[in-house]
Amino acid sequence: MMFKLWTATKKEFQLLLHDKAGLIVMFGMPLLLIYVITIVQDAAFRIVNENKISLLVVNRDQGNQGEQLVKLLEESGLFQLGQDAQVTDLNQAMQEQDYLTGLTIEADFSAKLRQKNQQIIDQMLAEAGLGEPLTNAPSIALSELDFYHDPTLQENYTTSILNMIDAFLKTVEGELLINTLAAELELTNSPEQLKQAMLDSRVPIRRKVVSSSNQERLPNSTQHNVPAWTIFAMFFMVVSLGTNLVRERTSGSFVRLKTMPTSFLLVIGSKMLLYTGAAVLQVALIFTMAKLTFPALGLPALTMPSNWLGFGLMTLLSGFAAVSYAMLIGTLARSQEQAHGFGSISIVLLAAIGGIWVPSFVLPDWLQTLSLLSPLNWCLRGFYVLFLKGGAWAALQPIILGILVFITSCLSIAVWQLRREQLI
Amino acid sequence: MPHRCIQIEQLKKRYPNATRDSLQDINLAIHTGDKYGIFGPNGAGKTTLISILCGIIKATEGEVRYLKDQTKVDFPAIQPHIGFVPQEYALYQELSPVQNLRYFGALYNLSKATLDQRIPELLSTLGLAHVAQHKVSTFSGGMKRRVNLAIGIIHRPTILFLDEPTVGVDVQSKVAILKFLNELNAAGTTIVYTSHHLSEAQEFCNRIALIDQGKIIMEGDLTQLLAQHEADNLKDLFIQFTGEAYRD
Repeated sequence: MMFKLWTATKKEFQLLLHDKAGLIVMFGMPLLLIYVITIVQDAAFRIVNENKISLLVVNRDQGNQGEQLVKLLEESGLFQLGQDAQVTDLNQAMQEQDYLTGLTIEADFSAKLRQKNQQIIDQMLAEAGLGEPLTNAPSIALSELDFYHDPTLQENYTTSILNMIDAFLKTVEGELLINTLAAELELTNSPEQLKQAMLDSRVPIRRKVVSSSNQERLPNSTQHNVPAWTIFAMFFMVVSLGTNLVRERTSGSFVRLKTMPTSFLLVIGSKMLLYTGAAVLQVALIFTMAKLTFPALGLPALTMPSNWLGFGLMTLLSGFAAVSYAMLIGTLARSQEQAHGFGSISIVLLAAIGGIWVPSFVLPDWLQTLSLLSPLNWCLRGFYVLFLKGGAWAALQPIILGILVFITSCLSIAVWQLRREQLI
Repeated sequence: MPHRCIQIEQLKKRYPNATRDSLQDINLAIHTGDKYGIFGPNGAGKTTLISILCGIIKATEGEVRYLKDQTKVDFPAIQPHIGFVPQEYALYQELSPVQNLRYFGALYNLSKATLDQRIPELLSTLGLAHVAQHKVSTFSGGMKRRVNLAIGIIHRPTILFLDEPTVGVDVQSKVAILKFLNELNAAGTTIVYTSHHLSEAQEFCNRIALIDQGKIIMEGDLTQLLAQHEADNLKDLFIQFTGEAYRD
């Protein structure tokens, strides 16, 4: 029996070795994808966090508040700041000087802000019985800031920058308010103390990563991409195994097997054994390459999970799920072209809804529900638990159950189809 | 007097959703040492019959009895002694003849030592020794047929079923295959065979069954049948009983 299984597995290995395209898809493509996508995502991440966004400021303000706002923007370290008060057409200047963002502060910015502040203070003092009551106070329109941005700048970056400018404006306004109030009350030393007190009274926000243990890891492009694209590569074995199965079904090899004193399960088992082994090899290769080379390329280092047993189990289950899916496609497809075409397109779609390309929480609700049908989503959740959330068994259990349901469903349908075709 | 090794009684086969039976009331006996030919026009039911005999598909009704020393044996008991050579190249064209034979041989429960001994012998006998390690996909049709045959006999079956074993091959390969089959038969292998080459079949077979529209229309010793129906050859006999009209 062992000799049969060994010979059958060896035959699968020999067939796989001859399938050059399949080998490239299984091992070459994922390595390339992981490097390219991680580098691209990391570069996008660095645009905001390290490389700084270019900002051209046209400060025509005659007072101090415009200058104060520019100083805050500069001190934030988030922008590569350029200033040119002589620019008349910021739109054109940005295009000529290759700036991603631009800000215009008009000449009456400080003046209008002061007027508005004075009005607020007067109103406060009047309410407190310390000044003359205000009657028919005119409404003061603040000077507007014009913010320009390159059309290719993503919406989330643009919104972040606007929020930052807004926060700096609040600081400028707050400081002006304190100074105006101090002047009205003829306070001499307190403005600085008040300002400091105001800054100190800001509620600090501590960033925490959801984790089932005390081991917290900040998500980064590496921690997502390496497991995600490895899972994608595992499922792409449908191209090799699926077409291999169709070939055997249509060539008469399976029919010949029926005349032999051997269990068909042995033949199927040898395929599953070999391809699950190939999936484990994919994980070993891709994770090793990422671990060894990413830091040298300036990419975030891959941090391996502490739950090695869980990692091993998830690897095996993911590989087995991929093999089961390939078996399903290989038994349902009527030709190699069908297995190849449908197999690869379905994997791309399942990857898209499964959170391989973008995290599934950004998807619309109905797509998030649909993502539960993607085996890649279940596998990715398992790796997320291991790589980002501490790898607790309690969190892994429902995921393992989901993957087992998928495997059982695929294999049951595959066996049903083979029986229907009287191949087993 | 040779013993019967296969006895077929009232065999009937209807495929799912089919409007008529593919085989109807088939009764025949195959004896040990026979070179038994099953002939008929396209769609007559030859492949269906051979598929039932090999255990590939099940009959709708009737019985196929396998006999060993005149005692009925179950199919699983006879299965290791059955060889099957399908019409298609049911092999792995990406692999070499040695790799194919090693795989299928292992599935026939042959040990590594037996395979190490038999594979070179068989390839040499079938004129494939010089391409033993080459990919089958690079072979001619005749060479592929010989590899297909080698796989079916690697375990030295006592009953060998061949479905159109010489279709699409050159004369040299055809001669080599038939010579080898005669040698196998002389060594004690019972051969059940279908072919469209009636002159070739006439030379090869000692007993025949002629099937048309799922029914046996003639069965028995070939020489006696030719004499009985005053036919010069199998082709004349075939046309006499099946007519000249086209068949789908």
